[in-house]
Order: sequence, then C-alpha cells, then structure tokens
Amino acid sequence: MTNHTPHVLLIEDNPGDADLTRLRLVEANADVEVQCVDRLSAGLASLAQKRASVILLDLNLPDSRGAATYRSILDKAPGIPVVILSGQDDEALASKALHHGAQDYLVKGNFDAKDLDRAMRYAVERQALLRAVEISQKQQLEFKNQFLSHVSHELRTPLTCIHQYVTILLDGLAGSLTPEQSDHLKTVLKSVNQLHAMIHDLLEAARAESGKMRLEPRCISLRELIQQATAMLRPTADKKKVGLETGLDQRLPLVHADPDRTLEVLINLLDNAIKFTPAAGSVMLKACLAETDPEAVYVSVSDTGCGIPADAKALIFERLYQDPDAIDGSSSGLGLGLYISREIVRLHGGRIWVTSEAGHGSTFTFTLPIYSLARLLSPVAIYQNRLRPAFVLVRVDLMPRLNPPLGNWKQTWQQCLEILRRCVYLDKDLVLPPMALPGIEQTFFVVAATDLQRSGIMTTRIREQLERMADVKNKCRLTITTAAIELARDAMEASPERQVQALADRATELILANADRRGANKEPREKLSNNK
Amino acid sequence: MPRQKILVVDDDPDLLRALRLRLRANNYEVATASDGYAAIAAAQKERPSLIILDLGLPVGDGFVVLERLQNSDALSGIPVIVLSARDPQSNEERALKAGAAAFFQKPADNDELLNVIRVSLGPGAAQRQPWPS
Repeated sequence: MTNHTPHVLLIEDNPGDADLTRLRLVEANADVEVQCVDRLSAGLASLAQKRASVILLDLNLPDSRGAATYRSILDKAPGIPVVILSGQDDEALASKALHHGAQDYLVKGNFDAKDLDRAMRYAVERQALLRAVEISQKQQLEFKNQFLSHVSHELRTPLTCIHQYVTILLDGLAGSLTPEQSDHLKTVLKSVNQLHAMIHDLLEAARAESGKMRLEPRCISLRELIQQATAMLRPTADKKKVGLETGLDQRLPLVHADPDRTLEVLINLLDNAIKFTPAAGSVMLKACLAETDPEAVYVSVSDTGCGIPADAKALIFERLYQDPDAIDGSSSGLGLGLYISREIVRLHGGRIWVTSEAGHGSTFTFTLPIYSLARLLSPVAIYQNRLRPAFVLVRVDLMPRLNPPLGNWKQTWQQCLEILRRCVYLDKDLVLPPMALPGIEQTFFVVAATDLQRSGIMTTRIREQLERMADVKNKCRLTITTAAIELARDAMEASPERQVQALADRATELILANADRRGANKEPREKLSNNK
Repeated sequence: MPRQKILVVDDDPDLLRALRLRLRANNYEVATASDGYAAIAAAQKERPSLIILDLGLPVGDGFVVLERLQNSDALSGIPVIVLSARDPQSNEERALKAGAAAFFQKPADNDELLNVIRVSLGPGAAQRQPWPS
C-alpha cells in the first residue's frame, strides 16, 4: 500500500452490519479511512470521485441484488480489490464472485477483526500481484513482437543482396550462363522467394497476435479475387499434375472485405490444398450463398489429399502446427499460414473451419460478409429509432493526371480516405468503403445526414483538407459533387429498418447511375462552386 | 536524349554494387552514397533525376535526408523512392508524408521497381504544377 492512509469503501445498507464492520476495523487497529455508503449507485459515484484501496461489498442492496452487484462493481472499478461481505444464505453466490475477479469473501457475523484485516491485506496484495503479472505479460508480448520485427528486418537485408545478385546472374547482366547454371540459379531464386514468404508470415503472425493487424475493407468482387488467386497458383498445380477448378455461384454478390488480406487467405488455402494432394488429384475452389445465412458468402477449398485426422482438426489453425505425416515435408513452411488465415477471417467477422475424412481429402471453408449498404448505414442513419430527416450523397473524384499515377498511388488514396473520415461526423455520416467497380474505382462516396444547402460546409471542408496533400494538389484533378438522396413518400411511413433499406437502395442507384459517367453531372458541381 | 542519372543511397556496399549494375543495364547513369550526409552532398553535386533511398543510414537516417531534400528549393523536385527493409506498416506512411514518391520493402521486385522509376521519370512527371482549374 502507498504511504497515505488506505481508503476503504464499505458498501452496506444494513446500519447494524455497517457498524459492526467498522468496529472490527477499529479492533484490528487498521490505519485506514473508511467511507460507508448504503447504495450501489452511491458506491459507484464515490469510486468516480476517489479511488478506493479496497472495496467491502454487501451483495444485497436496495438498488442491486446478487450477482448483478458484484458484476457491476468489478466491471466499473477494474483493478480495485473487492472483498464480498455475504450473509449465511448467499455464501455460494459469494464464492462464485471469486471466479469473476473478487479477491475474497467473508460471511457476516462469522469473522473477527483479524480475519477482516487479513482478508483486506491479502486482497490488496493479490490484486497488486495480478497487475504485475499482467504488465509483465504485456511487456513480454511487446518484447517478442519487437524482437520479431527486428529479426525480420535483419533477415531481409542479406536476403535482398542474395536476391539482387541471383537475378543479375539470371538476367545475364554478368555474362551468359549455361542452361545448367541457369537451372541451378533458378532453384536458388525459388528458395529465396520461399524464405521471403516465411519472413513475411513471421511478421504477420506477430502482428495478428498483438492485435496490430489492420484491415482496409472495401466493396469488392470475390469473383475477381478468386480468378487472381487461381491464376497465381495454376503453375504450382500444373507442375504437380493436380487439377485446379473453380465453381462459383452465378449470383455471387459483392463482399465487404480487405482485398489483399482475402487474397492471402485464398492463396494460403489453395497452396496447402495443392501441397497435400498427390499427383492426379484435384483441388476445387467454390464460392456460394447459404440459404440459412443471408449475410455471408461461403468460400471453400476442397482437396483429394490424405485428409486430416479428427484429433488434429482443432489444432490445425494454431500457430506452428505441422502435420507429422505431411507428404511434402521438405517445403511445409513455418506452419503459420492457417493461423494467419484464421486471424484474417476473424477480423472480417467471419468463421473458418475444416471438414475432413481421413483418406478422402479435406474441405476448408470460410465466410466473408456480404456487402450491405443498409447494414453499414443503420447505426448512423437511425437516430432515436427514426431515420434522420435528410441525406446527401457526396461524390469525391480524384483523377490522377498520369496513368499509371506517379508514385505510390495506393498510399495516397488511403490517406485521402483517412482525411475524408476526419471531415465528416462519424456518428451520423458514412464514408462508404471504396468500391472496386469499373468507372468508380477512384471515387469516394459519403452518405451525409444533411440537406443539399448545408452540405456545402462539408464539401468545402473536404476540398480544403484534401488539397493540403501535395499529391492531390499537384497530381490530381479533384471534383466534388452532391446529390440529395430522396426517398419515396411511402418509404417514410415504413419501419426504421425498411427506411434504411430504402435509403441504401436509393443511394446505390445514384452511385451506379453515375458509375460510368464520370464528371458528366455538371449541375451539382456549379452548385458547389456557389458554396465555396 | 542524355541518360538520366539516379542517385542510390544505401549503407550496404554490396547492395549498392548490385543496384548500380542493374540500373546501368537499364540505361541509367548511377551515382551512389552510403550515409545521410553523403546523400545530401551527392544530391547537390550530381543533381540526379531521381533518388533511391534506404531508411536505416548512418550520419542522418533516411527521414533526415527526406526532410533536407524537401527543405531545399533546388532539390525538393527530385522524386525519391524509398527502398528499405523496414516494416511498411509503420514506415510507409511516414516516408510518403515526408515527401517520398513511393515505398518499396526489400527485397523488391526488380520489374516493379524499374516500372516506378520509369513512371517517376516519365514525361510531365518532373513538373510539379497544380492542375489548371
């Protein structure tokens, strides 16, 4: 305990019990300052004012009873040791409280001064110890991740050198090679690339573990991503004489997902499937909808490999798991691919699982959220159970002057998105996830809860902020247009959920109507210049 | 058309040699520097059309070099491509904010790197004028 007098908060509504507890404290010669309140609310109010060294808590109070009492205190005053004062009849409940983080309990009328003093001292000590352990674990994790990040950096430096010289030789920049020499060097390059991928995985796994993996979800076409992934893995499959097929639902909707990360999951699963399938076998990638789940697309990768034994199914997504009977042991990697895939899927709010029958191959399935504008809009567009009164669709076009754009356009674009998010009220306006649709790939949309007249303030702010970026000012043509999202009168009578759906539908219509008519909409732009 | 000059800054002499070879083979003239101070001096003396810059450098790291270049009227127009082993998640944005035109993590794909060099040096890229309104 610190050198100033410990502050004991006694939450007890029975004056007799409260006095008895105070008396015990006096008997124990405890040098403490006691504050007694008779309501949970008063206790919480007191904690907000002054941090207690320890809380003595009766469970049955006028404004809260039983488990709710300790839950509320443990939840709102984390880190403060709590000793429960229970009656004879709720001792079982008090012992339950220990599982939820209370430090100790005493049965009223059954403890003397010494017991109370000891319970309080131990509670404080244990809480301090717990805190120290938590801090130490956090530091260890932080240290481990810093170490991994450092190792990854240090490994990359010599790898870069190897990569450069091998490619110099292979490209004939240091004289011509015999076919045999060229062959050997290609093998070296393959190993370099494998090493490179492993370093990448190591860092990704460390990121996932420390919660530092970031997603940039967009509205994307899963079909295109799947085509990309299969094109990348086709040579590997051909070489191993493994068939690679896809079966995609015709009605496959757009999904709300990070394209790079999703591609990583697809590649991981396909790569594994090919690796564990013997020659003449086949790998099938399917994407479909499930009638029971309107919110997700189901993507599955099946192989005709050796299958996964039941006891390994639970372990397979854990870090560093290696199948002891892997067919192709020489190139089985670090065992991080499935772990990283699971973390990516989880971050998207999806699930990943495996079904398998030993000897008959395995199927890995994961879900991705379907892009639904209504779902994104509903938390911001509804206020006090009503749809906000007016909405404007703001369209921000960033046309790079060069094609392909100079420098790292992806990064510039990302920065613009972040700036946009700072220009709106995040509780009522929605910056739409970027859409990978032809004609509007380089367009941002905002659904703003305002009317056309007032939207000028926002568009001016967006323009000013974006033009502060040198890349936007120098390398782009920036146009901002606005259009009111008007709903049919009968839509206004419907339930809030239906109203949001109507709003989303109308906004989507406006977005798609303009998708291929970039800059053709003159009138709103002139309106905008009046606002400036 | 005279060959365009690229200044490569890296503290690994072996990598410098490799990049010099690679860039010369692609018809660029190459100057090199292996620390932050030498990088600025070389930029002033050689007036390169483009700079390839490592971040972890002795005597003023890559960010210091970027800042010096940006603050110099004569040098701020030179496109800088950062080529570093560091984690892009924590360095890419910072480098681009500091004025870099692109960020590549080592080891970088040769074709991608050469492509960005070509685009950065391409017609119209050097003039930094706002789009006429």
